[in-house]
Amino acid sequence: MRLADTRWPLAVAAIALVVGSLLTVGLNGYFAYLGVSVVVAAIALLGLGVVAGSAGMISLCQLTFAAVGAWVVSALNVAHAPGGFLVWLVLGGLAAGAVGVVIGLPALRLRGINLAVVTLGFAAAVDATLLQIQFPGTTTGVSTDRPAPFADDNAYFLLCVVVLVICCLAVHFVRRGRWGSAWAAVAFSERGAAAAGANVRTAKISAFAVSAALGGISGGLLTGQVGYAFPSSFTPIQSLALYVLAIMSGAHLIDMAVFGALLWVAVPELLKRWGVPQDWGFVIFGLLGIQALASKTNLGATIRELRHRRRAGVELAPEPTSDTAVAPAGDPVLVVRGLSIRFGQVDALSTVDLDVPENGVLGVIGPNGAGKSTLVDVISGFLPQATGTVELDGRPLTGDPTQRARNGLRRTFQQDRVPAGLTVASYVRFVARRRLAATDITEALRFFGCPPPTTRLEHVDVGARRLVEMAGQVLAAPRVLLLDEPAAGLPHEDHLVLAERLRQVPARFGVSVLLIDHDLELVRAVCDTITVLDFGEVIASGPQAEVLADPAVRTAYMGETELL
Amino acid sequence: MLQGALAGLAAGGLYAVLAVCLTLMSRLVRVVNFAQAATGMFGSYVSVWLAVHIGLPSWLAVAVGVLLGGALSVALGFVVSTWLAEASTGTRSAVTVAALLLLISLSFILFGNKPQPFQPLLAGPAFTAGGVVISQVTVATVGLAVVVAVASWLLLTRTTVGVSLRALSERPTTAELLGIPAKALSAAVWGVTGLLGTVIIEIVAPSQSNDATSLSMLVVPAAAAALLGGFRRLDLAVVGGLLLGVVQGALAQSEQLSIARYFVPFLAIAGLLLWSQRKEVWDAAR
Repeated sequence: MRLADTRWPLAVAAIALVVGSLLTVGLNGYFAYLGVSVVVAAIALLGLGVVAGSAGMISLCQLTFAAVGAWVVSALNVAHAPGGFLVWLVLGGLAAGAVGVVIGLPALRLRGINLAVVTLGFAAAVDATLLQIQFPGTTTGVSTDRPAPFADDNAYFLLCVVVLVICCLAVHFVRRGRWGSAWAAVAFSERGAAAAGANVRTAKISAFAVSAALGGISGGLLTGQVGYAFPSSFTPIQSLALYVLAIMSGAHLIDMAVFGALLWVAVPELLKRWGVPQDWGFVIFGLLGIQALASKTNLGATIRELRHRRRAGVELAPEPTSDTAVAPAGDPVLVVRGLSIRFGQVDALSTVDLDVPENGVLGVIGPNGAGKSTLVDVISGFLPQATGTVELDGRPLTGDPTQRARNGLRRTFQQDRVPAGLTVASYVRFVARRRLAATDITEALRFFGCPPPTTRLEHVDVGARRLVEMAGQVLAAPRVLLLDEPAAGLPHEDHLVLAERLRQVPARFGVSVLLIDHDLELVRAVCDTITVLDFGEVIASGPQAEVLADPAVRTAYMGETELL
Repeated sequence: MLQGALAGLAAGGLYAVLAVCLTLMSRLVRVVNFAQAATGMFGSYVSVWLAVHIGLPSWLAVAVGVLLGGALSVALGFVVSTWLAEASTGTRSAVTVAALLLLISLSFILFGNKPQPFQPLLAGPAFTAGGVVISQVTVATVGLAVVVAVASWLLLTRTTVGVSLRALSERPTTAELLGIPAKALSAAVWGVTGLLGTVIIEIVAPSQSNDATSLSMLVVPAAAAALLGGFRRLDLAVVGGLLLGVVQGALAQSEQLSIARYFVPFLAIAGLLLWSQRKEVWDAAR
C-alpha cells in the first residue's frame, strides 16, 4: 500500500474503508478496542509526520495537543453542549490547532531546535497542571458516551477508521497542494522558500497548526474510547516516544504513520503477553530512533528505496529549430541606484548603479569577492540593512524577500536550494505560484532540458536541479529574474546550449534577466550589455564589446589579457 | 514571599548549573542536550541503589554514580560526534531526545517509577540572615553555579585548551586540520557536563520531587535559563537560572498561583524567544 505517493488516493481510501468494515465484523471486542488505540495513535503520528517529516521541526508535545482535544470533548460533554460527539470532536481538533498556533509563534523565525525547547516546556507545564486539576467529568463521574450507532467497541472502531481515512485524505491533498510544497521547501531551505514567494512564517505555522489539530482529534477519539480522559494518557514521556517513533518510521509517509501506530500498540501488547516490563518498549523505540538518526534513514525511506531504484539522467540537447526572434531591448525595467552595504569594516558594495533593460539580459561579471552575490541578495531583499534604491517598473521595490518575489522580482541561488522531497512538477508549480497547464510545464521543462515532470528531485543531480529551479522561476512570469551563476554544476559542453536558451528567455517568456556568471563565454553569448563589479564598485558598464575591451576590466577580471 | 523566594534559590542554583552545562554544550559541540538532566538522574539513581542494596558507604556510592553519569554522557557524545559529525544542530539534538526517552524508560525498568530513598548529602541550615534561614543545599547549588560559570569562562578565554575548544566549535574541520584533537576534546566536553549534571542532581535530589520523570524534566527550566543567554552567554545563564528559581519559589507560597508556577519556565522560554527574534534571522548565512 503506497498511500503517500499513490495516484489514486480515493481508491486507496475506499479499500481502507472496506478493510475497516471487514475488520469490524471479524475482530472480537478486545482486538477492536486495540484497533481503536491503533487508529488514535495513527492520527497523532500523522500530525507529527507533518511537522517533523514535512516541515523538519522537532515537536515534543503531540499528546499535549491530544489532551487539549480530550479536554474540549470532556468539557462540552459535561456542559451538555449541543451537536453531539462528532461536532465536539471537530471542535476539539480546532481548539488544539489554535493552541498549536500560539505555541508555534515563539519558534517561528528560529530553527527547529527552539521549537523543541518550547514544546517540551509546554508538555511539562500542562502535565503538571492536569495532574492537579484533572479533566472535566472524571472526578464527578460524568463519562463521555459514544454516539448512538457506534456504542460498542466494534462499531466505534469503524467510526475511528472513517475519521482516520478522512484525516489521511486531508493530509494527502494538503501536502500535494501549495501548503505542502511550502512545508517541504521550508524544511529544506527557508531562503529558497522565500525566494519562491512563499511566506516562511505562514508555512511553519500552518504545519504546526495542522499537526496540532490532528493531535486534538486523536485525543477526542481517545476520550470516546475510554469514556474518561486521564492525565496518564498524555504524559510528556509518551509525547517523546511518539516523536521518536515518527522519526524512526518516517511518519511523513501516510502508510508509515499507520504502520508506526501498529508498532505503538503491538510492541507493549506483545511485551505484556510475554511477561516483559512494558517500559522495554520505549527503550527499543529509543535505540531504534538513535539508529535511524545516525544512519539518516527511516523505515519508510528504506522500504521505498527497495521498491523503485531509478536514476534520472538529464539530456540538455539543443532544440532542433528555435526560431524565436530575439527582440530588441527596451527601456530599463529594473533600476538600481546608489546601492551600498557594509559588513563591519568592509564595503561589500558601494554606490552601485545598474539597469536591466526590458526584454534584455544584463550580464554582471567580476572577480571573486567583487560583491556579485551580495548584489543579488540586496536586490531580492535578503539584506534589509543595505542603502540605496531599487525600482521595478518605476515603483520602489521594498519589503522582505517574499513580498519582492510576489511583486515580480525572482532570483535563483548559487547553492542547491531545491527540496529533494518533491517531484519536478510539484516543485515547479510551487515556485510558479500561479495556475499552469500541464503542457506549459512540460514545455518549459523541455526548453531548459530538465528531467520529466514526474521525476523525484532526490534522483536529479545538482546541476539539473538548478535548471529545474530556473524553469520554475521563469514560469512564475516575474518582471525580472536574477540568475546567480546558473551554469555552475553543469558540464562545460552544456554551457553554450544553456546560453542559447537564456538568450531566448525574454522574448519567449516575457522575463527580463540579470545574469551573473563566471563563464565569460556564456556571458558573451547571452548578454548585450554588461556591468563589471570589482571590490563592490562598478568599474565599467555598457555594450558588451566596449566593456570587454576596457583595459581596466581586463586587469580586474583576469589579471592578464591572454584569456580574452 | 521572601522566605519562599529564598527557598527557591536552591532550585535556582540547580537550574543555573544545568543551564551552564547546556550553554557549554550548545557552544562547543553544537547540541542542545535534552538528556542533560536524565544522565544526572540515572547516575544518582545508581548511587542510591548501590548505597541501599549493596551497602556501599555513601561517599563511594555517590562517586560511582557521578562517574557513571559522566560516562553515559561521553557515550552519547560518541554516537553524536561519530555518526552525525556534519549534521545540523537539530538532528544532533534529536538524538539526545531519543536518549532522554531511553534513560527514563531504563530507570523505570531498573528502579521502578517511584521516588527513591535518597540519603541527603547536605542537610540543615547554613546560616540565618535577617530572620530567613538559608539552607546548606542553597549555598552549595548557588556556589557551584557561580564557580562553574567562572571556571568555564576562564578556561575558554585564558587557556590554550579553551582556544582549541572555541576553534573546534566554530570550524570543526579546519580545527582538525590544524591538529586539534577533535574527538578527545568533544568527549571531554560531554564528559565534564555529564559529571557536573550528576553532581548537582546528587546534591538536590533528596530535597526535590525525585521521581525519574521530574528529575529528567529539569532540563526544561534549565533550557529556559540558558535561553536568557541565547545558549551563548554563561553569566546570563546563571542569572536566568537563579531568577527562575526565585520566581517559582515565591509563587509556590500562594495557593491561587501554584498552577502558574508550572508555567513559569514555559512562559520564560516563549517570551525570550519572541524577544530574541525581533529581527529577521535566516537559516543559512547566504
